[in-house]
Amino acid sequence: MGKSALSKPKKNATKTKKKSKIGPNKVEMKHKSANEAKQNPFESMWSRRKFDILGNKRKGEERRIPQARSQAIRKRKKTLQKEYEQSTKSSMFLDKRIGEQNEDLEEFEKSILRSQRERQLKFKKKKNKFNLSDGEDDEFEFGGGLSSPGRDDFEDDFPFDEDEDGIAAERGVTSSHPNTHEREGALASDLLDGPDNKPKSKKEAMAELILKSKFFKAQHAKEKEENQQLVDQLDKDFTSLVQSKAMFPLTQPNKMNALKALTNTNISIDTIKKDDVSVDQTKSASHQENHDSYDMLVSEMALDIRAKPSDRTKTPEEIAQEEKERLEQLEEERQKRMVADDDGSDEDTDDPKDDNLSTKHSRSISGDDLGDSFTVDEEKRNKLRWIDLMLQKKSEESVGEDSSASDDSDGTDDDDVEEEGSEEEEADDSDDISDEAQCLKDWEQSDDDKFNAESDDEEEQDGDGNAKLDVTKDHKQGLPTKGGQLEFLAKKAKTGGCRPQKPDELPYTIEAPKSVEEFTSLVENRSNDQIIEAIRRILTFNAINVAAENRKKIHVFYGVLLQYFAILPNKKPLNFELLNMLVKPLIEMSSQVHYFAAICARQWLLQIRTQFCGDLKDAGKRCWPSLKTLFLLRLWSMIFPCSDFRHVVMTPAILLMCEYLMRCPIKSGRDVAIGSFLCSLVLSVSKQSLKFSPEAIVFLRTMLTAALNEKNRPSLDSQLLHLMEIKSVGPLLHIQSSVEEINSLDFCSLMDMLESEDSPYFSSDSFRASVLTANIETLNGFITIYDQMNSFPEIFSPISNLLHKLVDQKYMPDALKDRMGEVARLIDTKIEEHHKLRLPLQMRKKKILPIKLYEPKFVEEGYVKGRDYDPDRERAEQKKLKKLLKQEAKGARRELRKDNHFLFQVKQNQKDLENEERVEKYGKARAFLQEQEHAFKSGQLGKNRKRRR
Amino acid sequence: MVRYHKMKGLKRKKTEGKYERDEAEQIVEEDAPESTEDEVKAEGMSGTVEERGDAGLDEFPGIPLPPSDGSKKRGVIFILENASLEVAKVGKNYELLNSDKHAHFLQRHNRNPADYRPDIAHQAILMILDSRINKSGRLKALYVRTQKDVLFEISPHVRIPRTYVRFAGVILQLLQKLSITAVGKRDKLLKTIKNPVTQYLPIDSRKIGFSHSSNKVVNIQKYVNAVSDELDLVFVVGAMAHGKIENDYVEDYISVSNYPLSAAYCISMITNAVEQKWNIL
Repeated sequence: MGKSALSKPKKNATKTKKKSKIGPNKVEMKHKSANEAKQNPFESMWSRRKFDILGNKRKGEERRIPQARSQAIRKRKKTLQKEYEQSTKSSMFLDKRIGEQNEDLEEFEKSILRSQRERQLKFKKKKNKFNLSDGEDDEFEFGGGLSSPGRDDFEDDFPFDEDEDGIAAERGVTSSHPNTHEREGALASDLLDGPDNKPKSKKEAMAELILKSKFFKAQHAKEKEENQQLVDQLDKDFTSLVQSKAMFPLTQPNKMNALKALTNTNISIDTIKKDDVSVDQTKSASHQENHDSYDMLVSEMALDIRAKPSDRTKTPEEIAQEEKERLEQLEEERQKRMVADDDGSDEDTDDPKDDNLSTKHSRSISGDDLGDSFTVDEEKRNKLRWIDLMLQKKSEESVGEDSSASDDSDGTDDDDVEEEGSEEEEADDSDDISDEAQCLKDWEQSDDDKFNAESDDEEEQDGDGNAKLDVTKDHKQGLPTKGGQLEFLAKKAKTGGCRPQKPDELPYTIEAPKSVEEFTSLVENRSNDQIIEAIRRILTFNAINVAAENRKKIHVFYGVLLQYFAILPNKKPLNFELLNMLVKPLIEMSSQVHYFAAICARQWLLQIRTQFCGDLKDAGKRCWPSLKTLFLLRLWSMIFPCSDFRHVVMTPAILLMCEYLMRCPIKSGRDVAIGSFLCSLVLSVSKQSLKFSPEAIVFLRTMLTAALNEKNRPSLDSQLLHLMEIKSVGPLLHIQSSVEEINSLDFCSLMDMLESEDSPYFSSDSFRASVLTANIETLNGFITIYDQMNSFPEIFSPISNLLHKLVDQKYMPDALKDRMGEVARLIDTKIEEHHKLRLPLQMRKKKILPIKLYEPKFVEEGYVKGRDYDPDRERAEQKKLKKLLKQEAKGARRELRKDNHFLFQVKQNQKDLENEERVEKYGKARAFLQEQEHAFKSGQLGKNRKRRR
Repeated sequence: MVRYHKMKGLKRKKTEGKYERDEAEQIVEEDAPESTEDEVKAEGMSGTVEERGDAGLDEFPGIPLPPSDGSKKRGVIFILENASLEVAKVGKNYELLNSDKHAHFLQRHNRNPADYRPDIAHQAILMILDSRINKSGRLKALYVRTQKDVLFEISPHVRIPRTYVRFAGVILQLLQKLSITAVGKRDKLLKTIKNPVTQYLPIDSRKIGFSHSSNKVVNIQKYVNAVSDELDLVFVVGAMAHGKIENDYVEDYISVSNYPLSAAYCISMITNAVEQKWNIL
């Protein structure tokens, strides 16, 4: 029976498939309803619902896992079990009956399908009645379960049969194609003939199709080519027509161009020439339009004034060089003048302005005059000048003599200086802080100003008479005290030119002096201005910028100048003005040769210090610093920055000052004065850096104590302050009598006096009062500086006590009292402020820290689940692939495991079945044998044989 | 027993088990100095300096050390109920639903846009995490339960983004990925956990629910003060726009004001009251 079933060809199955599509719904519905009935109740269970996300399509939820499981088992039954069963077999049973492949169909439906198919075939048969029957027709004659035994093996020889149904439609299409196309090649003709002759394989059909499409393509291409040729031809004709100018009269020239432009694309080189002509024409036309504006622009630009190149900015070196050259030239002229003095032509050369004026004048005169170059006036002037010069020289000499002879004769000078000093002091008083540096600078500035506008100042001061006596002027006035005429002349000279005519004319080019003697000889008997001018010239002539070797010269000169500066205070009388003026070039030079300046200063400091130490050992010697030292210290404090935390010069300088204050015994009023000055110097130095110098404070306190009455004085002998012993001093500053007027101290004048050890002035009450005033001001400065110090109350409270005591004292001048009271109050308020800020000692608290916080790691926008947010793309890709692989492997493993289980189950079942069978057989056999045995034993064997049957 | 003086000497080594500690503690107090001195010698200079410092401190009788923090401190747990944190697929992207941005979308899906207010939860969370309770480490946990019954825990150590957009990003990721770690660490700062929330609450805790509908209007300060110190406090606050919370585990529903309050303000009142009670400044 199996064999007969096999004989059913496969195409039937395909046909049934097709048929089944006719009414699939109905059939399936029916089938389903049948299925539903015997459904496993577990299969209807929905295993899990996914979390509902709004807007998300709920896919995959219709899956029921129990159902899937049973489905999988069913599937295995169909595949794996079949295979397993087949594995031991050598042949296979193939059921190819209609409807047999489709499991959904029932027996009844299958038979319907079969009958339908039969009818169809019959209908088909009528159509080609006289054709020889195909195999399939024969088949269906025997259809409906019958089979022809020979067919079975024959089946494979007709591979086309399977596809016939599929191709049938195709065949219709091919036949519907128009036969108009030309066909080349045998295949094509074959194709055409094919359908009638014999059925075609799929391969052939495809070949035919391809061929056809190729043919169409070729056809297309051909047509296109022809079209192209036609178009080309037309274009050519057209261009020739255009060239022939037959159309020229018809069209306007402008349009012609357009036309030509059109044709240009097609026209080859020979036509280009013609085109060029026309293009030229058009160009020229366009040129004429543009011509005007362009030309105008060109002409305009030509007429424009050209920018003139200006001189470039000069470098400092060049400026220095120029300066030097100018000086050289001037010197040359001067030399010339010296040789040929009376030559009228180069008179007044040193005064260019004057010169200019005079030449003009002379020219105008010469126009009037009869070639006589000399006028009476000029001659007179010239002569006068010479006389003037001679006289001035004389006067200087006399001054020098005077100064060397007696100090008293310069009393006026000193007074002036003193007055100025007092002025400055007053100015300081008006400011709260006594600022020495400022004073000096002020002096300098005033000097400069006066230098620039001397005449004005002089006139003013002449008018004032007493108050604002300028020292420079004093000097110059001091010179001509010998003769009124001289003074007049000097004045005249000054007003005559911006640079005063010197009595002993200074050379313009001066080599830098190598030693102090050289320099002193150079500047000897010269006025302060001249000295400064000389220094200026030296510096310009030997400017470092000009030549490299000048640096050495300047180094030497700097040393010389410093030495000169140090020598000056030793001279009598004190030329304070000159000292002041020297500061400026010194500062300038120090900035140029700063390294050398620092070395110099350190050397000096070392020297001073060793000297000081030596003096200290010698008990009788006075160890307070000399005037020279004081000036030098002041100079350095101006040259070098005081605000540095540590400085090669300033740190030792400050230490030295403090040492002076600390170690030198205070014995006389002079010491008090010097100490006060040092204090103010320390103040000015530490003003910026806010360095605390306890020595200065202690000194000030000592001074205040010295002003106290004997009985009020606390026992100081054993008192320690800031680990320093306070020197017990006698009541040096105790004011015993009433003082009418407090004069501010002038230090320089004081210094002059200092030389004469114990002048009565130092024991005078006015001196005491003024020293006290100065000290109070310094103290005030310190208070403002140390304002922010934490230990302010501790430092200044004893001073405030002292001040309060002092205020109560008898004979204290009112102004001083007020001042002291003010300062004491200032201290008190500050102390109070500090006390307010102070907090009581507190238990050290552990700072409470808040809990630590961590940043969450998240994607800022649009997180999508499952996407890998690894920044490294490749790695992410790799990861994804790995994941996929793992998933697949897992699936495969699972499948295999399940297969295994399934197979085991099947085997088990089989085994069970066999076992059962075996047991059954065994039982049967046993039963039979038992029966036999029983029969044998009971003696029935052989006897009732017939009956038993 | 509270010791007012710091224990002398170095710390005990951690090798000893915890169980020993309680018994050992009293013994240690007596014999610690001798043993530590030996150790100190071995340790070298730095150790001796410390030792001296301690000894120096002890020499002053008048300065007591502040009592060290006892490890047994009661904490606070917050539960935000009914937070409207819902993720939806809008267009192609997943987004946290928001009444402002997704009004049309919600209407299309027959939802009431007024119910979708993630900003309330945001404010409330910020208010809790910014409180001094949290800074002092007394906040034990913070649970949020959404309207769709997703429960997640927020670690007190998390720095929640202060801007809404970023907060939405965090929640979006949390609800999809189910946990969020710290940057550069593996600790989970936010993680979704299984319902019900009661399994995470300590046994000896007082669960207080807040509802305007409650008849019991109390002064929160007094109420909190009255609660025993031995109990943990669990506050259950609704983070939704409308409605009230109804949970069976809440022991007591109270109302802290006669006015309906916002969640954030209510939380600030609660935290203030607790901080006052525990004297956290």
